[in-house]
Amino acid sequence: MAFISSGYNPEKPMENRITDIGPREYKEFLPPIIEKNFGKWVYHEIVEPGMLMHKAESGDEVYTVRCGGARLMSVTHIREICDIADKFCDGHLRFTTRNNIEFMVDSLEKAQELKKYLNDQKFSGGSHKYPVGGTGAGVTNIVHTQGWVHCHTPATDASGTVKATMDTVFDEFQNMRLPAPVRISMACCLNMCGAVHCSDIAILGIHRKPPMVDHKVLDNICEVPLAVAACPTGAIRPTKVEIDGKSYKTVAVKEERCMFCGNCYTMCPAMPLSDKEGDGVALMVGGKISNRITKPAFSKVVVPFIPNEPPRWPTMTKVIKQILDAYAEDARKYERLGDWANRIGWERFFEKCGLEFTEHLIDDFRDPAYYTWRQTTQFKF
Amino acid sequence: MATVEFNGKSFEVDEDGFLLSFDGWNPEWVEFVKEQEGIAEITDDHQKVIEFLQDYYKKNGIAPMVRILSKVTGFKLKQIYELFPSGPGKGACKMAGLPKPTGCV
Repeated sequence: MAFISSGYNPEKPMENRITDIGPREYKEFLPPIIEKNFGKWVYHEIVEPGMLMHKAESGDEVYTVRCGGARLMSVTHIREICDIADKFCDGHLRFTTRNNIEFMVDSLEKAQELKKYLNDQKFSGGSHKYPVGGTGAGVTNIVHTQGWVHCHTPATDASGTVKATMDTVFDEFQNMRLPAPVRISMACCLNMCGAVHCSDIAILGIHRKPPMVDHKVLDNICEVPLAVAACPTGAIRPTKVEIDGKSYKTVAVKEERCMFCGNCYTMCPAMPLSDKEGDGVALMVGGKISNRITKPAFSKVVVPFIPNEPPRWPTMTKVIKQILDAYAEDARKYERLGDWANRIGWERFFEKCGLEFTEHLIDDFRDPAYYTWRQTTQFKF
Repeated sequence: MATVEFNGKSFEVDEDGFLLSFDGWNPEWVEFVKEQEGIAEITDDHQKVIEFLQDYYKKNGIAPMVRILSKVTGFKLKQIYELFPSGPGKGACKMAGLPKPTGCV
């Protein structure tokens, strides 16, 4: 397409430049009924899966219909979301912290009509456009990352694994029959962008091979001390190598100390490590961020490696379903997945979920690893 | 990668316009880059920042942290942005011929 100027003048880049204006004030976008009752809500209830009702002091009621979103979406899709908001909600809508979409109306009849309308919308492939759900003790949207769509350090894909997983647990998105909410999160490398370290179930992309060092260009495109300092296990040291009679400043990787975190590649483009067969996902469980009853907790690794199996990751989704089913059947009401595992003991957790326990799951990272071992005779056979 | 020609000199650059090799730097590079970085004329202040970045890189193998750059040159971050509108990384380091900043930027 031919170039169309926005009015920006590249000859005078600082002229008419507007900066530091920040985001728009959220109050500009509040539906009138929310604005009117701001800070005056009395109680709420979940009317049915995907539908909430908030009661205000004034007696006003707001019905919220929550529907799933793929997070990665086109402008066409956003325009369709706007059309729905125009049709049912006077042009107002919001997105949740888990990237669901919420439409707000002022009566139950309107909410039910909206819910039916949303559930009827399909893509040409047959997928729901706006599946209603994500409330209460179910599985809501999966917080995820960029994957092969946009990032340069991933060990797996984000959108693909998430679609495969949500398809597997879709019934739990539209129902509220679990002991407590189950948060599933996904990160495509162990930078862990998002919430994998604090989710009930977490999918994490991992590598299994050390970086390949491009000695010839390393010193030109990398700041060597940064690559050395990026390594959590001290596996990288600066060195010189000779190739074809020429001496290059570069780094050496002690492979037996490398655990394939990929931090050095983040700092130094000459140390790529992604690998088709080596890369895959690890599963973690038992994290949470709320303070309800028990303290917030990190999730723990329970499956060290599942190979990448695009486009549907069947092994991974099968194991996730296995964990979810065992939890749904065995946990007590209000018990988050981590609370359940802690109560029954992790040896029972592995037994009930049918997971194999391997040496990879035993913490060996520095002094704190010791505290994760069992210093008691209390255990079950 | 691409090669650019300027005033009879040629430079190997990547897609972001950073020099592929610090050794490929020469004063012509600064003249070539200043336009794309929104700088009309190279002043002594610009020169001071560029020279410090190069000295620091030669000595330490890394670009200095922003606070070190400020402390040594005496320019506050705001002044550095006035000199280099794209900032110390994309603007000054690029002009000085340092490697492209990495990490989650």
